[in-house]
Amino acid sequence: MTRILGIVGLVSALYAALLLTTPSARDVGNLMDVANLQGQYGIITLGAALVIIVGGIDLSIGSVVGCSAVLFGVTMKSGVHPYAALPLVLAFGATVGLVNGLLITRLKLQAFLVTLCGMFVYRGLARLIGGTVSRTWVTDPRDPTAHPEFDTPIRNLRSGLVGKDFLGELVFPGEFILLIVLALVLGFFLHRTAYGRYWYAIGHNELAAKYAGVNVDRQRVIVYVICSTLASLAGMLLFLNMPSIQADAGGSSWELFAILGAVLGGCSLRGGEGTAIGMVLGAMVMPVVDNFVNLNGMKSDGIPAVIGLTLLLGTIIDELLRRRNAARK
Amino acid sequence: MALRLVFLAFTSLALAGCGGGNSATNAPNVAGGERPKIAVVTNCTDPFWDLCEAGANKAAKDHNVDLLFRQPEKLDAAIQMPIIEAWVKQGVNGIAVSVIDPKGQEEDLTRIAKKVSLITMDNDAAESTGRLCYVGVDNREAGRAVGRLVKKVLPNGGTIAMFIGNNSSANAIDRSGGVLDELKTPDADGKPGTHPVKKDVTGKYYGKYFLVDGEAKTDGGPGEKAVTNARDVLGRLDGVTDICMIGLYAYNPPAILEAARAKSLVGKIKIVGFDENLETLKSIAAGEIEGTVVQDPFNYGYKSVEILAAVARGDKSKLLGKGQTPYQVITKDGGPDQTINGLLIKFPKAVDFEKKIRDDLASVKK
Repeated sequence: MTRILGIVGLVSALYAALLLTTPSARDVGNLMDVANLQGQYGIITLGAALVIIVGGIDLSIGSVVGCSAVLFGVTMKSGVHPYAALPLVLAFGATVGLVNGLLITRLKLQAFLVTLCGMFVYRGLARLIGGTVSRTWVTDPRDPTAHPEFDTPIRNLRSGLVGKDFLGELVFPGEFILLIVLALVLGFFLHRTAYGRYWYAIGHNELAAKYAGVNVDRQRVIVYVICSTLASLAGMLLFLNMPSIQADAGGSSWELFAILGAVLGGCSLRGGEGTAIGMVLGAMVMPVVDNFVNLNGMKSDGIPAVIGLTLLLGTIIDELLRRRNAARK
Repeated sequence: MALRLVFLAFTSLALAGCGGGNSATNAPNVAGGERPKIAVVTNCTDPFWDLCEAGANKAAKDHNVDLLFRQPEKLDAAIQMPIIEAWVKQGVNGIAVSVIDPKGQEEDLTRIAKKVSLITMDNDAAESTGRLCYVGVDNREAGRAVGRLVKKVLPNGGTIAMFIGNNSSANAIDRSGGVLDELKTPDADGKPGTHPVKKDVTGKYYGKYFLVDGEAKTDGGPGEKAVTNARDVLGRLDGVTDICMIGLYAYNPPAILEAARAKSLVGKIKIVGFDENLETLKSIAAGEIEGTVVQDPFNYGYKSVEILAAVARGDKSKLLGKGQTPYQVITKDGGPDQTINGLLIKFPKAVDFEKKIRDDLASVKK
């Protein structure tokens, strides 16, 4: 609860700073943009947080995002209908998670190393299967290999999942709503079912969980599958939302944003801690900071430092609050 | 927990709805004494864009403008577009963009051009987007100038390799296309084949020149990959003479030079570049790079802000027509001005041009 209060305070303070100091940030359209970015990072944060709760780590998230975005484009370009390509790419994500999970649980390889290798493998795969992909590349009527008939289904998907209208104007924060729905489902499993108890138990004390009869390996594999599937979903949303995706850059460093969001949201890297609401709140931090620096015309050179320092400050405040409350108990 | 999540959702939606700010529809012209707010976004972070930023800052002072200038951290339209969208929502009076993926960004830029005065610089978008004008050289013509430099340094033909950030942006396509246009002959216009000495190296023939791998090698933007690409090609061409390495983005010539240094090939291979990276200019003066074709990014920044400020004040006379920005060719010894395809092209000495660049940078505190 203390950690939740800490992150609620941080998010509220950042929103207050943004809205009070930057009048143009109060524009509804701008706030919807920020919310959608929060949804984008939030979806991968949910997966990263689950892995962290069971005491693992997934460094391949960003590459899976990029690879899935490219795969989504390439699959449609090869003639697969967008509505069929979506579950296919989700299946790709699930397979990646299954491979990660099996390597970690059956071969007893370290999660850090397995997913670090995955980071290179899936980035490389993205570059092998396509360079730059975009909606236009898939549907361009001037290109005989393209599929102009997919234009409407792609726009429908974009409208439903991202919230952009036919012309690309954001009319509702679809990704944020999707994040809330996913967080509700995940929160139900995490806090209301035996699965959640297994995951917390594994993160707290793996051996104790095993002796208590929990199939630790199976649960770990399930969590990695969920994480990579969510990363695949985020990749497809990225494809739908952005004008184009470069295999080299799409989703690059997102694993760090996801891990940061999870930790800010109350997940301990030691495992066994974290809540669904915390994950959502943790993911809300960075887009607000990003919007603040964008709208205030800060010098390009200083932006990464400002973002990093703000997040570090948030982490320090969160930790101090937690310690103070622990001392009071 | 579910209740708390529902509460969070409502809180967020309430936050989203609390704004009563201005809508950015059809950014109005500013009143007489008001300062227009102009935004400039580049395609990545690079010293090339520092020059552009210096020019934009100078114009902002000269024309009484509030300037927002961003160099996105990566050459990626997915990073660039959210910056532009945020500025549109903010209600800026004009935006200048170095477009990364003209095809992919076409739809979004068309929508944005209906709300804000939009110009392109360095890298153009389709005129159908409704952008007001393009500030930049004709990259195809500038590419041809690079091709002429290659012909000058390897008059009897040889092996060439081209390096660039990507193969999809308009400037990349035009620059590499311009080089090959200049080199090709009717009987050797991209004819596939293997290297005359290194049979394991495949490529294409353009006139007397063999292009390694048949296309420009891409690196995704400034970084280590630009050096490793060049190093790998030099490794594959070990023992081959008459090599010319062509770097078509600003960071490519220094990256090629770095790779050549690592293989002790400086002076043994020819390097021809594009853009006015200070390292490139110093190396031309030192005789390590043969020459470069430059665009004057300081002027891109200055002109972009000047044009958008004028448009915001209701004056459209500053808008540029097609092909009004000439490139320049920098070599160690320079040369007299020439009129090429209707453009007056200058050939300054590298030391003189480097001094100009340093003066430009010093003229405005970054």
